[in-house]
Amino acid sequence: MVMSRKAPTSANDLINPVGRPTVTQDLSENVILTSVDDLYNWAKLSSLWPMLYGTACCFIEFAALIGSRFDFDRYGLVPRSSPRQSDLLITAGTVTMKMAPALVRLYEQMPEPRYVIAMGACTITGGMFSVDSPSAVRGVDKLIPVDVYLPGCPPRPEAIVDAVIKLRKKVSNEALMERGNLIQTNRFHTISHEMKAVEPILDGRYLSTGTRIAPPKQIAEAIGMPVPPALQAEQAQKAVVKAKGKA
Amino acid sequence: MAEEKTTKPAAEEEQENALVEQAKISQWLIKNGFAHELVEIDDTGVEVLQVDRQFLLPFSTALYAYGFNYLQCQGAFDLGPGKDLVSFYHLIKAKDDVYQPQEVRIKVHVPRDDATIPSVYWIWKAADWQERESYDMYGIVYEGHPNLKRILMPEDWVGWPLRKDYISPDFFELQEAY
Repeated sequence: MVMSRKAPTSANDLINPVGRPTVTQDLSENVILTSVDDLYNWAKLSSLWPMLYGTACCFIEFAALIGSRFDFDRYGLVPRSSPRQSDLLITAGTVTMKMAPALVRLYEQMPEPRYVIAMGACTITGGMFSVDSPSAVRGVDKLIPVDVYLPGCPPRPEAIVDAVIKLRKKVSNEALMERGNLIQTNRFHTISHEMKAVEPILDGRYLSTGTRIAPPKQIAEAIGMPVPPALQAEQAQKAVVKAKGKA
Repeated sequence: MAEEKTTKPAAEEEQENALVEQAKISQWLIKNGFAHELVEIDDTGVEVLQVDRQFLLPFSTALYAYGFNYLQCQGAFDLGPGKDLVSFYHLIKAKDDVYQPQEVRIKVHVPRDDATIPSVYWIWKAADWQERESYDMYGIVYEGHPNLKRILMPEDWVGWPLRKDYISPDFFELQEAY
């Protein structure tokens, strides 16, 4: 009786193959299946570039966030100095009516998709200026659409990180199909300003205006005697003192 | 009671005399014929002098000649609706190695319907922006100022925001958030 050696080995091969079939593993290591939405959102939320915008004390906290201690680069936030290159506007600081047109223009110059975090009490409701200020805008959401409201006066850098995480969640939930549904409603000015528009008064020639050379006649008469600049007067006095000392 | 009534004014008069004796700058000004009113000597020992606006410029020149070469602060305030506006000037003598420079404060009252004051820009150049701010907030016109324009509010703003009788416009941006 001759035992066949081949038969058992082939049987062993069948029972204990040398390696696992590699076809599906190769597939899972090299092919990603996802939706375009998820890919697009992942790319967006991983590179939220905020604009360097600060009008008051909130920016001190925001600047702390840029530094190494709080290090917001780990969220893909890279501060940009141009609205053309930024996706995120963190309104750090009080916005006044004089600043409002500039803020709206900056927002309009940012490319889509763009996000806004209203940072601090001033930009949410006007904060401590909301009662009697003649110029503080009572919340930037009267001017531009806001995605995340970040309360605090000013908020700690950790709170800004929290707001950024919340914004990332919001971004990750967006869908290309619903892009059109996100347009703001009910944003309108109820009262026209009715101010008489005047030419800009800052023309860059402040110190060289003709009115600065000499006082008007009436003023010069009222002053009575020529007023030398303080330094010259001091030098003249010193010269007198020296002359007296010599004499 | 009667005694008290008679003694009180005397005591007050004594106090006032003491005050006048203390006020060295005021005495020097009176000696040289610059009429003014000594309002008080405040808790830090600074004399507060009130002067009519038509005498402000000669008065200021005299103080400049007396050594007050530095306008440390100029500002304004409103005494109340219907009352006067006040423009004040805080002067010090700036010199080398001075530990506590001599100080004096001038106040000029003006009626709110005719708020004009001659500008001290030509005596102290520091008055430039400070007078612009007082003009911006209270509508006090500083005559002879080289560039009297609004400095803080938008250039087309109507009204003087820090006057007590000012009413904020009901602009959309200024309406309360809810």
